[in-house]
Amino acid sequence: MNVSPRLELRALAKRYPNGVLANDGIDLRLARGEIHALIGENGAGKSTMVKMLYGLEQPTSGSIVLDGRAVRFDAPQDAIRAGVGLVPQHVQLVPSFSVARNVVLGAEPARWGWLRRGAARQAVRDLARRSGLALDPDALAGTLSLGQQQRVGILKALYRGADLLLLDEPGAVLGPDEAGALYRALRALADTGVSVVLITHKIADVLEVADRYTVLRDGRVVATGCSRDASAAGLAGQIVGRALAPAIDKAPLRRGAVLLRARALTRTTGSAECLDGVSLDVAAGEILGIAGVEGNGQGLLARALAGLQPREGEVGLIPQDRLHDGVAPTLSIADNVIASTYRRPSLSRRGWLRRAPVDALARAMIADFGVAAQGPAQPIGALSGGNMQKLVLARVLAAGPRVLVASQPTRGVDIGAARALRERLLALRAADAGIVLISADLDEILELSDRVVVLYRGAIAGHFAGPGLDARMLAGYMTGARRQPNAAACIDSPFAAAAMEPA
Amino acid sequence: MIAFTGRALFDLLLPPAARRTAGAVAVALAAALALIACVSEQPLRAWLILLTGPLPELRQGADGAWHWQRLVRFGTVLEDTINLTLLGLAVLIPFRARQFALGADGQLFLGALAGVAFGLAWPGPGWLALPLACCAAMLAGGLWGGAAGVLKWRCGANEMVVSLMLNLIAIECYRLAVSRWLRDPGAGFPATPFLPPAAVFDPLIAHTGVGWMLLAAPLAVLAVALLLGRTTLGYEIRVSGAAPAFARQAGLPVGRAIVMSMALGGALAGLAGFHVGHALLKRLPVDLAPGLGFEGLLVALLARHQPRAILGAALFYAWLRAGGQAMERSTDVAREIVLVLQALVIVLVMAERWPWRARGRHWLGRMRAPGGTSA
Repeated sequence: MNVSPRLELRALAKRYPNGVLANDGIDLRLARGEIHALIGENGAGKSTMVKMLYGLEQPTSGSIVLDGRAVRFDAPQDAIRAGVGLVPQHVQLVPSFSVARNVVLGAEPARWGWLRRGAARQAVRDLARRSGLALDPDALAGTLSLGQQQRVGILKALYRGADLLLLDEPGAVLGPDEAGALYRALRALADTGVSVVLITHKIADVLEVADRYTVLRDGRVVATGCSRDASAAGLAGQIVGRALAPAIDKAPLRRGAVLLRARALTRTTGSAECLDGVSLDVAAGEILGIAGVEGNGQGLLARALAGLQPREGEVGLIPQDRLHDGVAPTLSIADNVIASTYRRPSLSRRGWLRRAPVDALARAMIADFGVAAQGPAQPIGALSGGNMQKLVLARVLAAGPRVLVASQPTRGVDIGAARALRERLLALRAADAGIVLISADLDEILELSDRVVVLYRGAIAGHFAGPGLDARMLAGYMTGARRQPNAAACIDSPFAAAAMEPA
Repeated sequence: MIAFTGRALFDLLLPPAARRTAGAVAVALAAALALIACVSEQPLRAWLILLTGPLPELRQGADGAWHWQRLVRFGTVLEDTINLTLLGLAVLIPFRARQFALGADGQLFLGALAGVAFGLAWPGPGWLALPLACCAAMLAGGLWGGAAGVLKWRCGANEMVVSLMLNLIAIECYRLAVSRWLRDPGAGFPATPFLPPAAVFDPLIAHTGVGWMLLAAPLAVLAVALLLGRTTLGYEIRVSGAAPAFARQAGLPVGRAIVMSMALGGALAGLAGFHVGHALLKRLPVDLAPGLGFEGLLVALLARHQPRAILGAALFYAWLRAGGQAMERSTDVAREIVLVLQALVIVLVMAERWPWRARGRHWLGRMRAPGGTSA
């Protein structure tokens, strides 16, 4: 009898080259045949941990121990050889291949370089029967539902000999029936001795599916235990955490005229993300917080708002993905910070850039926002996330926007820089600009917002007054458990009932 | 600290990118020696001729006076350098806007045609006719390049496909014009008449086409460096190319930057056409060989799309070509070895990192990866 756990993480830590500490001393034990839920908010460090377990990233310190032996994964091949299999949320399949050929793809049974299709079909059929994952090996992958595609992903991992499965939020893209079927299959697998790490941000998954759970927040383990002993309210508190004290000084609200008016914004896309009749106002001198689980329409809302014409001035946007459209990483700091204002006479004259003022402006921003940089000529991509984000904010503010849409302004930013960025947002509010703050960080929403709305499946699920708002109550709206009928965030819209229902 | 500043100074004098290019050139030249050794009886001599053949030689004649020899060969190096510099810049500008425009060939043909047609139609005084013909050539190339840009911007047509197709149209238009409307009935083959002597450049080196257009190459490099580094248009081109999503988000006129980059590149290719027509050939034959535009692409690659490196890259390229001719003439090595060498340099310069250092371990790991074993 092997007494050592199938998987053990000892003080695992990961610091990315840009300085972000994504995992900070993670300890975790996973027995054979155990389903272990890994739960936490976006950015808590779940994906980083899984990437290290699968050899896609290498830990900065700490160790991964399998069956009592420390291992080192330089590449996914090493992890596969050690029996680790990753099932991504969106399993990539060849649509024109059958299920069987997809399962064996890359590890086909072959003789003298010729595929043995019959053997492949038979092996996949046996595997599907033994693992309780009902699938027709001859069905074309292109005809499968998302849930079936995930089963193919699991079969792929099992076919390669995995007995430690990493599942990345499998329930997030599935309907309740499909999710239930998948979880029953996982339980059956676990009974045969397969260990499962289930990444999720749904509390229900922990309570109904997992044997044990670990809560991650800010890259650290904040709680771990048996699912039997856990409660939904307790987990929610652990996931969200308490607001960081001391709070930033916030001036009293001086709400002015409405600057931006959006009515019944609706947008459908090919993917699950949509906007469904969102109405909101932003007034001068207030911060409107948009809370919600990521992927519920925040990105579409930010883009829609940024394209609107406010009553006066312009809308500035801090994009959600700063490396994509927040900065030009290969260009210098100076080239980046003038992107919104280079046509002003102070920076260019008759089509010629004025080098000295441009450099002076970049230097001033670096000093003003406390950016750790070598100088205006340094490529902005060489800076850490926090310093980069400070310069994004500096660039957007230089254009003097009357309305600012700030999308995940402090994501991946260390605590000090995040605080500096928040103080800047409050200073902008005090200067009578209107701010829409879209954030997955509930603490940030609660700390800064004068009004809060929760976005769920593209629609406003609730509209709340900011002061005294309770994170646990918002969580109910974020998961769709509660909903305010006909909710809108216009300046005179009613607030949702603030009382918390007994759980 | 001292070590750090020493390192910084070194980086300033010879930036890492330039070091890598120099390293790639050195490796390729060494490889050339190895290649030549496989085919030649006297490899070292052939290799040295390849490297030094284009140099003019100072020799004492029978009368005791010193004469420069082989100036014509050196002249072809300079001619090629001018062409390749202009064409390299013509490829570089659109590339900085992330447009892989391959239309330099067609733009060159139309530029040459427009310049020569103007020179034949309006034999005014040289001081006026030459600049006007030059403007006509640049305008023709610029419009042709801008057309591809407008198609990309307005219709989303892939600039690579469009510019290649526009090349075919331009070259056939050129042939039609030369063989039908501009043909010199006195010539034994289809070609335009010679340009009037007032409207061509006098050679600075006898029996070559090297004239005052020699100044055009460094001036064009300077102009493009200033355009990209110091003007708002150049800024828009650089940002649109480096991060298109960012440029759009920040409100830059990305579409205009794309069109302008391709039009300006076209104007430079047109200038190269003017150089071909007015300085090198003085008349246009119908069978002017296409393909020069693609050598401009290679020069731009070799220069890593930095304007200030274009002149050196063009000179290197032209030097190798002339050296190859010299080698073929005086040794047993064929000129084709130079093509192999050119290809080697390009491949080595373009390699983002040299594979034998970076990922060897993983390749080993992959080879050991097991076949399928079912659970």
